[in-house]
Amino acid sequence: MSAAAQDEKAYNALFVNFVYLLRDYGVPAGPKDILDMNRGFEKGFVRSLDELFVFLRLTFVRRVEHMDSFERAFALYFYDIDIPPVEEGDLALLRTKQFQDWLNRAIEAGDLPARAKWDMKPEELMKKFWERLKEQTKEHHGGNKWIGTKGNSPFGHSGNAEGGVRVGGGPGNGSALKVIGDRRYVSYSHDNTLRSDNLRQALDSMKHLKKAGAETDLDLHETIRRTSRNGGEIELVFKKELRDKMKIVLLIDNGGYSMTPYVDITRLLFSKLHDRFDEIKTYYFHNTIYDKVYIDQRRIRAYNIDKLLQQREDTRIVILGDATMAPEELASAYGSISGFELDDARPSLHWLNLIAKRFEHSVWLNPISKQRWTGNYGAWTLKQIKGIFHMEDMTLGGIKGMVEHLSDFTGKE
Amino acid sequence: MNPDDLRFEGTEDYYLDPELGTIVNIALQMEKPLLLTGEAGTGKTCLALEVAKSLSMDTEVLRCKSTIKGEESCYTQDTVLRLNDARFGSGETGRDVQNFYDYVVWGPIGRAFRADKKVVLLLDEVDKTESDVQDNLLDILEDCEFTIREINTIIKADIRPAIFLTSNAKRELSDPFLRRCYCHHIAFPDQDQMREIIRLHYPDTSAKLMEAAVHIFYELRERGYEKPPATSELLNWIGALERTGAIPDPKDPPLMGVLLKRASDIQAYRGGDSGPKRFM
Repeated sequence: MSAAAQDEKAYNALFVNFVYLLRDYGVPAGPKDILDMNRGFEKGFVRSLDELFVFLRLTFVRRVEHMDSFERAFALYFYDIDIPPVEEGDLALLRTKQFQDWLNRAIEAGDLPARAKWDMKPEELMKKFWERLKEQTKEHHGGNKWIGTKGNSPFGHSGNAEGGVRVGGGPGNGSALKVIGDRRYVSYSHDNTLRSDNLRQALDSMKHLKKAGAETDLDLHETIRRTSRNGGEIELVFKKELRDKMKIVLLIDNGGYSMTPYVDITRLLFSKLHDRFDEIKTYYFHNTIYDKVYIDQRRIRAYNIDKLLQQREDTRIVILGDATMAPEELASAYGSISGFELDDARPSLHWLNLIAKRFEHSVWLNPISKQRWTGNYGAWTLKQIKGIFHMEDMTLGGIKGMVEHLSDFTGKE
Repeated sequence: MNPDDLRFEGTEDYYLDPELGTIVNIALQMEKPLLLTGEAGTGKTCLALEVAKSLSMDTEVLRCKSTIKGEESCYTQDTVLRLNDARFGSGETGRDVQNFYDYVVWGPIGRAFRADKKVVLLLDEVDKTESDVQDNLLDILEDCEFTIREINTIIKADIRPAIFLTSNAKRELSDPFLRRCYCHHIAFPDQDQMREIIRLHYPDTSAKLMEAAVHIFYELRERGYEKPPATSELLNWIGALERTGAIPDPKDPPLMGVLLKRASDIQAYRGGDSGPKRFM
């Protein structure tokens, strides 16, 4: 075997590991992509790390929401820089492994005072973290050295990329890392919570809940049938395609303080779409639903669930709530913390089941992020409700998942 | 032309980001459809047309609508005309009722596949189509062939066209569809890139006007309007400013109607709304 062939073998194996890393980062890369990648290498247009970056991204990334994950994986694998999956300024940084590792290492190395964890404000630490990370991405920029610092990097993973990854060819202009350092795609990332500035993207994905079709279509079969029946005298027959407008019922838990930040944004999200829907009705409840919901935010004017159940069955139901409460509120017949006037009270689960059964397209939107659905206070009730309704969280990914569930038109052609 | 020899380097009317240039060339050499997504005004459609221009290829454009079924982008059969000819005779037209092909109207995809040299095939705003149409299209584009149902004949491209697709991401494209394409999201140009773009379109604009305009433009975009001004609006605005000859004053920029289109945005702007609308 020639040396070149041997090299090639080692080279492919390396990239296979990168593909597994991508999968760990949530980028759905498959075997066909690997074949495509090799086909590209054979063509020989990848001559620098920058070109490799662009080529691999084209090969493996299809959706803009995976872009940031790809860039982070690339930075880790090829530069030994471990970038946390959060945006600058997001407090969630403090919980990430990357931040913790950096903090410990910085203290060990004496870059930060020994008591930094207690003495310095989180904001200060966060600022330091991003500053250092930016220095790191700049340091590589323009240089000839693309290989990680072999574990010395303050952001290194000291595992995966240890030993460095060598890519043959010229150094290119080193812009890949700068591109990564810019984090252009982080706000599109699926894990991002819904905010006013990415609301537009969510809106766009919701616009297509309704199926629009041409209103007139030449009915060829009918035309020919009637034409022959007329003895060849042409008669054109047009058929109308059905238009379907959707009705949405929004049920909002406005009881707990955990819900407050999301009520307005959700209502806005839906009300922006009024031209797409026949109508949107909003009702309110506290923690969970019993025999009635309320028309007003103060929950005084009641609206019976029986009435709701009489709506068209293709009505879309979106329930917004954190689904966390004391177990008895959900499962006990007299669980309602406000209603004690009923003789034949039924547990909330009964009502939820009725709603889910009547309306096939119902979704529970939960402001608590998916990662925290288990092991928290209220995990039991959340799990129960999740068993009844299709549940999504209030991230861009969640909204898209909801749209998909709501717009499933099976049998409605 | 051998696909390996195709290299797109931008044209004098189009500012080509180096990264995007690499992407286009990879797609050309791999002969894979290139799907471009991004906000309006990032030059998605333009790119395909400029590629065609700089490589002197013909262009076939399919402007997608929600009503298309996919088949008519390959071909349609003029049934009514044929019925008419069958009933009244084709007369002097030279059409033969017995000949199916006399009544076929080729769509953009059909024309691109039947062309005798490499062309650019642009499927504009492909996200507007229904998902089952996309599924049909993807097989057609992957194999570069389609079947004429009525006579069960396969039309196959001898020369694969360079395929570009654009999407405003109004609707999610299906995974199988995306798997067959190279996908690239064009980010909105940053300030430096925007200056390059302006220079291409208005080479004589004074630096002072450009700086002021770019500054105001990005400031407006930050404010979170429902329809934030895009590149084309900025270019129009600069064109208009040049004519008036004034340097826009950031406190009270003139001709705001060129930049902001939505009534609610204009009202918010007039109302002295200084910050983005806050929902939380």
